[in-house]
Amino acid sequence: MRLISLLFILSLISCKKDNPEPVAVSNVLSNGTVVLCEGLFQQNNASLSWINNSDASVSNTLFATKVGRQLGDTGNDIKRYGGKVYVVVNVSSTVEVLDAQSFTSIKQITMQNGGVSKQPRNIEFYNGKAYVTCYDGFVDVIDTISLTVINRIPVGLNPEDLIVSGNKLYVSNSGGLNGPSMDSTVSIIDLSSNSEISRITVGLNPGRCITDNVGDVYVVTRGDYAGVPSRMVRINTISDLVEDNFSFDVSGLSKMNGNFLVSYYDFSSGQSSLGLFDPLTETMIDPSFIDVSGLTTLYGVGFNQFTNTIFISDAMSFTNSGYVYEYTSSGAQIASYHVGLNPSKFLFYE
Amino acid sequence: MTKLLYIFVLLSCFDLSGQVDSIQNIQTVHVSTLLLVLKEKSHSLVFDRETIDELQPTDISDLLRKVPGVNLRSYGGLGGLKTVSMRSLGANHSSIIVDGVPLNNSQTGQVNLGQLMVDNVEQLTSSIGLNSNYLIPVSSQISGSNFMINTMENSFARDTLTIRANVGYGSFGQIKGYAGVKYNPNKYFISAFGAMQKAKGNYRYSLDNGLLELNGTRKNNEYFDYNFGVSGGVKFKKGQWRIGFRHKSIQQELPGAVIFYLQTADEQLTTKGNRLFTDLKWTKNKFYSNVFLNGSIDNQEYFDPTYLNAVGEIDTKFNNRNLNGGYSFMRFSNNWKVFGGVEETVSDLLVNDSTFAEPVRFHSYAMIGVRYDISFFTLTGQISAQHVYEENRIGLAPKKMFRVNPFFSIKTKEWGQRSQVELWYRNSFRMPTFNELYYTNIGNLNLIPEDAHQVNLGYLWSPHSRRMELDWKSNIFFNHIENKIVAVPTKNLFIWSMQNIGRVNAFGGDFQFEAKYKFNDLWQSIFNLSYTYQKTIDVTDSDSPTYLHQVAYIPEHTANADISVKYHNTGLRLSSYYISMRYTLNENILANELNGFVLMDISVFHTFKLDKKEQLKIIGSVKNVFNSSYAYIRSYVMPGINYSISLSYAFN
Repeated sequence: MRLISLLFILSLISCKKDNPEPVAVSNVLSNGTVVLCEGLFQQNNASLSWINNSDASVSNTLFATKVGRQLGDTGNDIKRYGGKVYVVVNVSSTVEVLDAQSFTSIKQITMQNGGVSKQPRNIEFYNGKAYVTCYDGFVDVIDTISLTVINRIPVGLNPEDLIVSGNKLYVSNSGGLNGPSMDSTVSIIDLSSNSEISRITVGLNPGRCITDNVGDVYVVTRGDYAGVPSRMVRINTISDLVEDNFSFDVSGLSKMNGNFLVSYYDFSSGQSSLGLFDPLTETMIDPSFIDVSGLTTLYGVGFNQFTNTIFISDAMSFTNSGYVYEYTSSGAQIASYHVGLNPSKFLFYE
Repeated sequence: MTKLLYIFVLLSCFDLSGQVDSIQNIQTVHVSTLLLVLKEKSHSLVFDRETIDELQPTDISDLLRKVPGVNLRSYGGLGGLKTVSMRSLGANHSSIIVDGVPLNNSQTGQVNLGQLMVDNVEQLTSSIGLNSNYLIPVSSQISGSNFMINTMENSFARDTLTIRANVGYGSFGQIKGYAGVKYNPNKYFISAFGAMQKAKGNYRYSLDNGLLELNGTRKNNEYFDYNFGVSGGVKFKKGQWRIGFRHKSIQQELPGAVIFYLQTADEQLTTKGNRLFTDLKWTKNKFYSNVFLNGSIDNQEYFDPTYLNAVGEIDTKFNNRNLNGGYSFMRFSNNWKVFGGVEETVSDLLVNDSTFAEPVRFHSYAMIGVRYDISFFTLTGQISAQHVYEENRIGLAPKKMFRVNPFFSIKTKEWGQRSQVELWYRNSFRMPTFNELYYTNIGNLNLIPEDAHQVNLGYLWSPHSRRMELDWKSNIFFNHIENKIVAVPTKNLFIWSMQNIGRVNAFGGDFQFEAKYKFNDLWQSIFNLSYTYQKTIDVTDSDSPTYLHQVAYIPEHTANADISVKYHNTGLRLSSYYISMRYTLNENILANELNGFVLMDISVFHTFKLDKKEQLKIIGSVKNVFNSSYAYIRSYVMPGINYSISLSYAFN
């Protein structure tokens, strides 16, 4: 009996502390920002945070609250197309399709091939189809009505990012899982035939892809994290040739109106920078457009066209819950929000 | 008991004043070796064969988690990676000694306790602070803490013939068998054993997923191993010599973390190990010596058949070779002892991966200590020096290191009802492992050793009466760890690297209480209770959000409560284990909480005395009686309620 009572006492001790009251999120999302927090590998803790513009409140359990389960392991991309929001979850190997207004789940698309994870990375849309890069060497085509994978387009090794320009899709083949021999190509896919028409060499370990207002594609070549630096190239989408190699440090690119926000986090020194680049003149307008020296780990950058403000996330050494800072379009900080683990991408609501 | 054994018992004893007790104790314990068999009064915790039988541990880690101050990290499953850290120091600060010889793994720096055999263990001792055995290898005497295992097959015995055999069957397709035999006439012994076990490991689990409960069955978790070995030993006039060979072979599937919405684990690990070891002990005029030599080759092959690189798989073969040998001595007179020794370890790592540096390390140890009895106190001082030289074959600069580390202890003699107080301080370090230094992408060649300072104040009390034996051990401790080697994501979420960035303070206390009560000649009961409190906080950087936060995976509270009741040859043991909530990352926020849990195991046993020398024991056990859903490591779920039955035969 002594033991039983001891166990009883022990089990009382082990009862969890009461959870703090979650911040309520309205039934229809508007006037705010969804932040994709990637979480950490093998921790099943990817999450979405909701920043409410009207009262600056933050809910860090948006997905779990609205859907009733967790997002999964390592969220990698979030985008909206029509009335649906697509969240790409890399390690769980799913694409979560949500109603853009209510944020309720419409479908969880399982991204597996013969029992093997496809490891989806990023998503883009064109003409009623969603295109998802998958680390197993394909771009999956998802019909946005039936929400099923209708085609798999073979590309290079470990395709990372993708961008549509005209009726072509540019896919950066990172080869990131083949280190130290990473890939250095971009696959160009004709969207009318959904097949690769050429593969061009851009530089080691290509990642982020973005277009400017005239349709040129810019790709970040991330190098080898050692001797080969992280740079940006411009592809002329008429000739499909690399026309410019830029010599500044860059790891992330985001569009702000017609310009690019060029972010860089130097993992060896821990220093961050954020510049403003004009793709029309191909010049860096201001290499220190926003002072981000106070950030621990500059991670994600986004421009909110509805509020005309810039959002920058700090991944806090990747192991601590992150912060999002909001700046005016001229670079003055106006707000900060405490969000989930490894905030990387933003989805803005009017 | 031969004279030699008597001498070595004296060698191992703690206090000269305690010799008589020690010798009496040894007669009640199954005498398995000349060293380390003393169930003496110290801060060590001892498990003998009888206790091990009653607990029916899956492996050594099941026993070690009961040691106060020990924190088990288990990735689950039979053969799965299991390591223990003592008082927040990290597994690499503990040394594991089997049959007087330290086990080394310079690749990982820690021994996977899930892969150590438990069937032939006669005795397991855990100790921290002053080690009362001055003849164990120097590297173990100066490590942060140590765990010593003695097996039936490598020890001299009183009986001419010893046979042990058992078979067991358990949930999730577990089948195991072991047989060992030892022939031990007066002057020598020879022994041999073989063991195998296998399991499907397909246990059901449930995991909270928001409002849902994720129910699943563990996949890719099959396990198979076999072990065999031979040993021999000779006694001569003033000494003894032993030699042994051990082989282990393990094939296991790696189930990995439970990832939400994905069940596609298919990795495999194959392990093969061969070890040849020998030791020689002798005495001359109060001068006691021990020499050992140990050579081991461990091969591991990791295979991931579906990795998304260019060849579509990873097949990495590691070959870790270790050769170590040493000499230790002790000389004593009435009120002083001098002890010390030297040791050398040479190890290398060959990998079928051109990016791996293929390092070779020469690690030299020397230590000298003095113990002096002065009226009411015993003072012990020890100083050790270590030199490490390391080369690699890809042209990186060789590493050199020289360190000196002290240990000091002051201890009272016993007073009153066998009370004793001890205060000690130890400074030690652990080398970065080959993996931490050289592993592709992860390794960091600039790592320096991780330093540990330990201060401990202990109180022992063990009053005895005719029917009742009480044993109380308690400690308060403070540990400080500097240059802690931690893995941090550096380049992105997937590229982690090792860095010397951590500074940690651990404040804690523990107690261990044992009460044995004999109702009469037939009825007896044993009650054990232990509890550890550890406030282990990150003091690396006052600007960090984790400053003063409890370090990841260190629980504040752990407790064990066991009760064993025996009537004649039949008994029942209830064993419970509690670990409080832990954080899975250093930041102490709700999202990082991993629930605490209580586990309760029950076993029932009955011994059939077949003969004066022969007995058969049947043991049935139920583990995790409450069917708790629990995990030591986030996303590595552990099994719910499970059953086993085993039959063991002993002749001696």
